[in-house]
Order: sequence, then C-alpha cells, then structure tokens
Amino acid sequence: MNIKIKLIQEPETEYIEIGCYKRDEKVNELVKLLKLHQGSIEGFKEEKQYRIPLSDLYYIEAVDEKTFLYLEKDCFESKRRLYEFEELLSDRSFARISKSVIVNMMKITAIKPALNGRFLCQLKNGEKVIISRKYVPDIKEKLKG
Amino acid sequence: MKDRFREIVSSFFISVTLINVAMLILGFLFRPEQKFGYEVFLYPLLYGVIGVIPSLIITTKKELSVSQVIIRKVLQCVLIAVLLLAFMFAGQPFSSEKIPSAIGVAISVIIIFVLVNVIEWLLDLRTAKNMTKDLIKFQESTYN
Repeated sequence: MNIKIKLIQEPETEYIEIGCYKRDEKVNELVKLLKLHQGSIEGFKEEKQYRIPLSDLYYIEAVDEKTFLYLEKDCFESKRRLYEFEELLSDRSFARISKSVIVNMMKITAIKPALNGRFLCQLKNGEKVIISRKYVPDIKEKLKG
Repeated sequence: MKDRFREIVSSFFISVTLINVAMLILGFLFRPEQKFGYEVFLYPLLYGVIGVIPSLIITTKKELSVSQVIIRKVLQCVLIAVLLLAFMFAGQPFSSEKIPSAIGVAISVIIIFVLVNVIEWLLDLRTAKNMTKDLIKFQESTYN
C-alpha cells in the first residue's frame, strides 16, 4: 500500500483520501482511527487559549462549578460544563464514570475494585480515578460496544 | 436504587450463610448439649435482616472518599453488634455467665462483617477483571 502526502495551500480545506478496492472492515477501522485523532477542544491556562487534541486528553473533571481537562502531565481549564462534554463526546472513546469525571477509555490500563462496590481506573500516567457504582452498568455496556 | 437493592440482597444472603457457620461453631463451643426445634432455621434469617439494617440507615448519595467509606464500615459493624446483642440478651437478667457468650457473639459479628466485605470485594475483583478484558478488546478495536 502506498502512502501519499500532498501539501496544499490555504484556504483549501485539509482532507484525507483513501484509495481502496472495496470499503471493508480494515478501511472502516482506519476511518474510525482518523476520526478519533481529528477532534480537539479548547483549553485555557494562565489566560492563554490552547487547542487540545481529544486523543491527548486523559480525563475531564468538574470541581466547584469549574471544569478541568487533564492531560498526561498538564491541566487546562475549560469554559464548557461537564454535561456538555458528556454530550459532545458520547460517540467517542469517553465515558462518564462519576458525578464529576469523564474519562478517556483509551488511557485506562486496568480496572480494579475499590471499596463499597466502586471501581478504580488506573491511567497510563499513573493517576487513578474512581468509577461510581451508578455508572458501572453504562461503562460495561460501552466496553462491550 | 436497583443496584443498591441488589447489593443489600447479596450482602444479606452472604451474611445468612456465614451466620449459619458462626451459630454452628458458637453452639459447639458454648452449649454443645442444646437441642433445637425447627424455629432455629429462622434465626440466621432474622440475624441477617438485623445485619442489613445499619446499611439501610447509614446510607448516602454522596461519593465518599476511601477513608470516609472505612469509617462508615466501622460504624456499621459496631451498630450491627449492638443491635444483635440487644436482640439476643435484652430483657434477660444480667449474669456473668452471659459475658463469654456476648463476647463470642461480638467477635462473630466482626468476623462475619469482615468476611462479607472480603467476599463482596472478591466478586468485584472478578467483575473488574472482566471489565479490563473488555477494555483491552475495546482499545484494540479502536486502534487497529
């Protein structure tokens, strides 16, 4: 398979084209992967605005009316509310795991039991986030696809 | 609510099984000569109900921290012991002969309480392992 990269000039819209004999499962998976890397959201840090790729996001947490975006080693604030992110990311690899946290399931390395019917997500950067009892059935369903 | 109910029912049945074992051991230790009628089958169920009452009372919709959960569990255990001792010995004249039995009951309550939580944790461990397997499949299907 040849991979071609063509440089284009503004104002032409950037695009990705796939040439294939038939649209099979592999092509669909490739499209899914590209879509996953496509999205980005706005984040703020020290009054500066940044574009954060969704694939870099570890989890989103709401604390005292504020929403924070956590990356591997960085944290940004967002003006959006948690429920907005829940709607926005519902068809992505993100899942609501408690009243205040949405996690990127691609960043979880393992799920372990915690006390009181809750579970603990071990993330790739070593952080841990709690899955509340209430959200366990939804996550199970999302994982099973 | 449904999950909470399922959790309480599961906790009740695990407790009843362990209470049966505790009654057998305590009976052999303190009153091996005692004979019972069919009503004895009711006691583990009654004690099981008493055992779940504190988890119905001490309930919260808040997401507690690990230390708050541990404190809540200790309170639950103490409350269960007090309720069971009151149910078994209240209204009877106090005598020093009853002290070993009361201590035996209190120790049994602690052991059963710990065992119920360990069994529930083991069941959660199995669920967590299955979720991790599904998670790996999910990640592979999203990346490959």
